[in-house]
Amino acid sequence: MLDLKDLENRTIYIVREAYAEFKRPAVLWSTGKDSTTMLWLCRKAFFGKIPFPVIHIDTAHKFKQMYEFRDRIAKEWGLDLVVSRNEEALKEGVGPENGKFECCTRLKTQALKECLDEHGFDALILAIRRDEHGIRAKERYFSPRNEEFKWDYKDQPLEMWDQFQGLVGDGTHMRIHPILHWRELDVWEYVKQEGIPCNPMYFAKNGKRYRSLGCKPCTFPIDSNAATIDEVVEELKTTKIAERSGRAQDKEKTFTMQKLRALGYM
Amino acid sequence: MSINVAVVGHVDHGKSTLIGRLLYDSEALPGDKVAEIQKLIEEYKRRFEFAYFLDSFEEELKEERTIDTTRVLFKGRNYYTIVDVPGHKEFIKNMLTGASHAQIAILVVSAPDGVQEQTGRHAFLLHMLGIKKVLVAINKMDLVDYRQDSFEKAKKETARLLSSLGYSEVKFIPISAMEGDNVYKPSGRMEWYQGPTLIQSLDEIEPEEVSEKPLRFVVQDVYSIDSEKITVGRVESGILKKGDELIFQPSGVKGKVEKIKLPSGEVEEAEQGDSIGIVVGCEVNRGNVGGHPQNPPTPVDSFLGEVVLLEGTLKRGDEFEMKCGTKKTGCLVGEIKERINSETGEVMGKDTGEIGENEAATIIFKTEPLVVEKFSEMPELGRFVLARKDKNIGAGVVLEAKR
Repeated sequence: MLDLKDLENRTIYIVREAYAEFKRPAVLWSTGKDSTTMLWLCRKAFFGKIPFPVIHIDTAHKFKQMYEFRDRIAKEWGLDLVVSRNEEALKEGVGPENGKFECCTRLKTQALKECLDEHGFDALILAIRRDEHGIRAKERYFSPRNEEFKWDYKDQPLEMWDQFQGLVGDGTHMRIHPILHWRELDVWEYVKQEGIPCNPMYFAKNGKRYRSLGCKPCTFPIDSNAATIDEVVEELKTTKIAERSGRAQDKEKTFTMQKLRALGYM
Repeated sequence: MSINVAVVGHVDHGKSTLIGRLLYDSEALPGDKVAEIQKLIEEYKRRFEFAYFLDSFEEELKEERTIDTTRVLFKGRNYYTIVDVPGHKEFIKNMLTGASHAQIAILVVSAPDGVQEQTGRHAFLLHMLGIKKVLVAINKMDLVDYRQDSFEKAKKETARLLSSLGYSEVKFIPISAMEGDNVYKPSGRMEWYQGPTLIQSLDEIEPEEVSEKPLRFVVQDVYSIDSEKITVGRVESGILKKGDELIFQPSGVKGKVEKIKLPSGEVEEAEQGDSIGIVVGCEVNRGNVGGHPQNPPTPVDSFLGEVVLLEGTLKRGDEFEMKCGTKKTGCLVGEIKERINSETGEVMGKDTGEIGENEAATIIFKTEPLVVEKFSEMPELGRFVLARKDKNIGAGVVLEAKR
């Protein structure tokens, strides 16, 4: 097992670097296990209270339990919660049944873009990890996005020893990835160690559980009997199934994730 | 913690294939990753390549070359974070990004091709980055019919290169990443080789002993929380205890540690790697370095460094931004003492006025007061990044810092 203390120390260092280097940072929260762990680490970095807004991109297609969990935690932790929805796209009836790629792009990426424009955020803290997806494995800790939100993955910054590069030229905001080096198993070990609250959907009921949470129409549970954190940890030590196997947007076509991310998807 | 292992070497010598093979043979891959690759090779009418486990960009698949660094976790006797880096000259910055945290490197050399341009450059950069433990995998043994004389020839060339950079006692392992010989499983096709497989050699490397070093606490920020001023930062070396007297440089202020705060509560002491907050009765700023008065951090206004430049030119008299620890400061290129060929480590000229892209040099930098340490003694404060207009364009290490 990786040393949780080392993982935590490095993440807190990165969060504090981001806070020192950017005028208006925010953290993105899907209410899933990774971004909830990210919020927990932000609280730790600032000794209790997160000194910047927490953004929730609401596609209107999330699970009921996710909304309940969001509202409960936001209250308990005193979060400065900003909820952003692309109302226009929802009115037009954008949804997964009319094309998943467009749905992700408009309800998530576009909603995020509008939120950034409205609030003027220059840095976004995100809880992506290298072991989730081959494309995410190529990310930097500080990853710039240009005006069109694009990720110039062919020309990423030199990032040696914790010397992160700030925004250059036409960069409009920075994506900060403080738990990039964590694995799924590490997150769960840490959730267990710290007692971080979790959406109950991660735990098995009637032989099924969710391993990764997204929008209701495009997220499917896996076969599992892991009903407690300990059982989830044990399951992950032996599983051969990919974490995002129940997430449609990774699967539809080859390189969908790369194309989504190049356009500014998280 | 996992040990970071960078896999380096010339383009097409088989770095990604080697890592893909390692993951495949050790059964470390999720089942549907294999299915995903099957689908992909049918779609693109390609033959199966182990490199596809690592190369994820569409362009990487189409062009059959790694563009950016990636990393995967692998479990042997220890946990290894295996870092794949591109072998093309144009992607040196991605190679450095990947290799900068490595403790061990595997240099991959193709048996039929021997030492090539990026073999030399990567070896030079490993030496500059202070990566002392290097294994050499002589790859593609299948293409030379597993012959010992071919192995010996490539080994001799590589040994000459490495010894000129100060590497001795390097292990050489004949492998075929494509066929799986001596990577994870021993080979039955090279009876003349009795040594360990690559993964066994990796497991045999003993971690470096951490020697006792003076305290260096790098300041990131100061927070005001509940009317308390908390100075946050990281202990880069040594031990910090409650009650310690500290001196901060380059500001020169002194204070006493009243509290050491971890997010989970107060503690009596903190050690290397800890991200902490302290309450200390003096004004401190981001970029300051704290230490004990009996072995204090000392600011300099000039030092000798060795750098590699990744973009543009660097001339005597040029100004750059220098980042060391959390300090960002202006610096001036005083003298370029030696211009170095980063492909070979050879000195190309002395007291020259300029160096170009992908060249290295030893340079006397003049800076505003800055705390640096000799890289060989305290790497955490002995390495720096050079930036121009906020863009990171070079990296270096401190060879000599005069007090």
